[in-house]
Amino acid sequence: MSEVRTLGALYLIWLLPLFGAIAIWTLGPQLRRGAGWLGSATVIASFVLTVLVTILNGAASPAARSAGTDVPLVTWIPGFTFGLQLDPLSLLWTLIITGVGGLIHVYSIGYMWSDRAIARFFAYLNFFVFAMLTLVLSDNVVGLLVGWGLVGLASYFLIGFWFYKPVAVAAARKAFVINVVGDTGIMFAVFAIFAATGSIGYAEIFAKAGTLSSGLIIAICMGLFIGAAAKSAQVPLHTWLPDAMEGPTPVSALIHAATMVTAGVYLIARFAPLFNVSPTAQEVVAIVGAITMVTGAILGVAQWDIKRILAYSTMSQIGYMIMGVGVGAYQAGVLHFFTHAFFKAQLFLGAGLIIHALHDEQDVRKMGGLYFRMKFAFWAMLLGTLAICGFPFFSGFYSKDAIVYGALEHGHPVLFFAGVFTAGITAYYMFRMLFVTFFGPYRGEVPDELLAIPPPAHTAEAEETHGAHAPAWLMNAPVAVLMIPTVVAGYVSWGGVSSPWYRFFGTLFGESDNVAGVPLPIPEWGSTLFVSLVVTVGIVVAYLRYGTPAAQADSIERLRREAVGMPPALRRAFWFDDAIAALIVRPAQALGTFFARTLDPHVIDAGVRDVAWLAGALGAIFRKLQTGLVRGYALTIVIGAACFIAYFALIGGAK
Amino acid sequence: MIAALVVAPILAGLALLLLPRSADVAAKWIGVAVSFAAFLVALSRYGAADESVRWLQRPFVANFHVGIGTGPSYWIVLLLTLTSGCALMVTRLPRMRDFVVQMLVLLGAMTGVFVARDLMLFALFWDLMLIPVFLTLIAWSPSKTAGTAWKYFVYNLVGGLALLLATAAFGILQGTTDVLGATAGAFATSGGWSFWIFAGFALAFLIKTPVWPLHTWMPDTYADLPAPMAAIVSAVQSKAGLYGFIVVGLALFPAAMHAAVPLMFALGLIGLIYGAVAALVQDDTKRVVAYSSLSHLGLIVLAIFSFNPIALGGAVVYIVAHGLFSAGLFMTLGEVEAREDTRMLGRLGGLGARNPRLAGGLTIVSLAALGLPGLCGFAGEILILTGLYQAGYVWQTIVALVPIVIAAAYMLRVFQGVMHGPEVDDLPEREDMSPLELLALAPLVIAIVLLGVNPGPVASSPHSYETALR
Repeated sequence: MSEVRTLGALYLIWLLPLFGAIAIWTLGPQLRRGAGWLGSATVIASFVLTVLVTILNGAASPAARSAGTDVPLVTWIPGFTFGLQLDPLSLLWTLIITGVGGLIHVYSIGYMWSDRAIARFFAYLNFFVFAMLTLVLSDNVVGLLVGWGLVGLASYFLIGFWFYKPVAVAAARKAFVINVVGDTGIMFAVFAIFAATGSIGYAEIFAKAGTLSSGLIIAICMGLFIGAAAKSAQVPLHTWLPDAMEGPTPVSALIHAATMVTAGVYLIARFAPLFNVSPTAQEVVAIVGAITMVTGAILGVAQWDIKRILAYSTMSQIGYMIMGVGVGAYQAGVLHFFTHAFFKAQLFLGAGLIIHALHDEQDVRKMGGLYFRMKFAFWAMLLGTLAICGFPFFSGFYSKDAIVYGALEHGHPVLFFAGVFTAGITAYYMFRMLFVTFFGPYRGEVPDELLAIPPPAHTAEAEETHGAHAPAWLMNAPVAVLMIPTVVAGYVSWGGVSSPWYRFFGTLFGESDNVAGVPLPIPEWGSTLFVSLVVTVGIVVAYLRYGTPAAQADSIERLRREAVGMPPALRRAFWFDDAIAALIVRPAQALGTFFARTLDPHVIDAGVRDVAWLAGALGAIFRKLQTGLVRGYALTIVIGAACFIAYFALIGGAK
Repeated sequence: MIAALVVAPILAGLALLLLPRSADVAAKWIGVAVSFAAFLVALSRYGAADESVRWLQRPFVANFHVGIGTGPSYWIVLLLTLTSGCALMVTRLPRMRDFVVQMLVLLGAMTGVFVARDLMLFALFWDLMLIPVFLTLIAWSPSKTAGTAWKYFVYNLVGGLALLLATAAFGILQGTTDVLGATAGAFATSGGWSFWIFAGFALAFLIKTPVWPLHTWMPDTYADLPAPMAAIVSAVQSKAGLYGFIVVGLALFPAAMHAAVPLMFALGLIGLIYGAVAALVQDDTKRVVAYSSLSHLGLIVLAIFSFNPIALGGAVVYIVAHGLFSAGLFMTLGEVEAREDTRMLGRLGGLGARNPRLAGGLTIVSLAALGLPGLCGFAGEILILTGLYQAGYVWQTIVALVPIVIAAAYMLRVFQGVMHGPEVDDLPEREDMSPLELLALAPLVIAIVLLGVNPGPVASSPHSYETALR
């Protein structure tokens, strides 16, 4: 067997989660926790089918594997043809979406055990998996855009899952609107692509990539990148991601860490043939990725909410990935997606264990000493933290290394140093979180004032009834399973370009144009050593500030001082939200008010009224004119009407 | 049978007057039955031959010529009959019998507009569809004065008169008005009088759509009409002008249409942004939908005047799509209003907790309206904009992308304002959607999804007008 076969399994892989969502939605609340099992079963079935397809296709020739397979679905108009395709890139994402997704589904049964709306939760979660599969399995850019919009919708539903909380509602809307900004970027790319190639299919587009002008390719790539930046929380479109933590924690793990937010990485890797021929576009992507990477890490230092710490770390890590694919180191960027999916899911699910046990407490200042109460959660968080820091021989070590060295290889020394620097900060804030959460005294009973925690702006009654508790294994088992890849996932890249990882993709990404031929100042092991050193420094600084016995004993006072002394730039997250509100939201509202309250009733309407009135009493016009009572806008309208008539008269006369 | 689609609803409506005043329920279900029967008949008439009866010989030839074909007429008539039936199903109003009479007359008149193959007939039905809306505004408007009714009437009468004059002038010039069924371009005119005649048609079309700055009758009218009729007027009547630009403008006045491109692009683009921004700050949910229509319909104006086949196909898709979701919006928001006695966002909130089905219904129609990929609004938008770009209007396309973002903001503001947040204590607690209300919304939702997944047949429907594009 030399060609890739899917035996119709592709339809099933794609649609099973949708069937699950529809079944849960229609059967509704009767299912209760059964919804969780049904949802998990469909996603896991998708995963099993994907694995089977992968194994069956192991026999296919490397070239056939790279090219993948394609099944048609529907044609709108000539050129707008939709279909599904499975090539290495979509296969990898499908494995993660259904695999990690399946684990998080099972975990969610435990996490949402006593929530009244558990069925609604699983309907949304299953719908998300379907939407994400649509995004990665599509063989064309409009189908990708459909998936792109639908994952945004699922994300909106799940951020605002507890819709009686005003903060959750606002966060959901913010996430949706910012993502629509991204959608319009991709739409623009679609228009430009279709006008130039007459098609929306990847294969046809890439076949004609050579015939496009470089200016057009830059425009297309920038449109795509606006989409990628919005979905993957790149500066300045990142502000929705920290707020998105209002959703239930398993959602943060699946959508806002492991899968959806990495869609931007997928998009750029998918369009590698276009980005490869446009060094300018690559430069922009890499620089924005690097800025995001540094910004996210710096802001991660200043957070108190355990989920917001993880959210900023996600933003920063996606910055790494975007920088990786931006410089042309596609395998490295995608490898970091692969390892990040495991260790970040691990971290979020571990944080979920804590939040669940502490009855929805998320402020690390109110934690402390949890090591003695929750050993399993501690080990889960420790492994995840070591992996995200890039500690040697954990999964993140390999992928982060590959990216920073890739930046150097492709001739970006500044980005290399930015990457190394960020690795140090990452180690610092992640270990800060670990020490404050798990060591020192338990501060759950300490009054808020002593920790400088501001009083809540509103009080939302807790929806969950904490009477019944799920069996512990439901939440622990998925975390335990994730521990394995969190440690070992990076080993797939052992052996550099001859590793299974590189062979898996084959020639999919082509050759990037801008591989610098210059000899590198340091070899790869030198870079690795340098990164490891900086990471160690970060860990040591975190230990000195939060981990020493003295610091632990004095933790309440120290944390209070740190909270009070937080610089405004960090507290306001570099004022991005304020800037968007002042520059875009408020002017748009003011303009709308002016249109609807002033222009419509007092100018256009009054003008039209006057025209009618004038027409009715022609004689009176002149009298009014003489007495000067005709309102200015009436005159405007008359002139306008005259222009309308004159326009046609002149055009008519010209012919 | 096509003629029956026009005549039967009007006759049935008038016959209802024979029923006793108290026969509200019977009248409603007769109305529903007539609408759905019309839908089924129309559905089966795909590609049916035209029907024609001789009418006038002097001063020019005019015939009672109707046809449904496979073009935009077919899809719009399906939209019209379907939304009428669905809207009537959930109508709860005082003096129900009289309201159903208005709805059925409106249904017949609008069907007449969309199946007329004779300009004179087109103009006749055009003016006829004004009357039931006017009477409804007088009799059922919540406001004490008849200001809105007269505003609607004067605006549309001006348009109607312009249309009638233009039609008469066309008839005298060409000797016949039986021209809409002819091969596109056969009666195409250019130069001299044709520009004046086109200007008359254009004024009528611009008012009816409405296009900025002739839109100020619309928010008041939509706000004051009972929800079921607001659904029909917004879903279908507002499309008469756009339909007119396609079947009258492109077929008969291609040269004048070309000449009007700069003006129409300016008006369309202004309306696109103006409507979206104004929708952002409305407190009245129906007014949000009204201003959003101004924005959405501006996009269709751009599509028609881009002279691009893909954009034109997208225009028809969006005409149907906008009809589906705006009807759905007026129906669901009407149900909110019927329950809570208010439609002001400042008063509403938190209904989702007790009305999950209503929340679900409003979600889907709102998402279609904000152009969620996979639903019908997106299909129309992407085809239109692809065509616009292909036609070379690059910066106009970029400007037209902005309202898509604003649409997400104002539609979510409405949806979340009504359904989400903490429950408001002093709102009356009412039952969730009844099975009947669900049943009435279901056909629209199904159509929204189907058209979103495959708009192909609708997108290729205006093929016969594409000759005019070259």
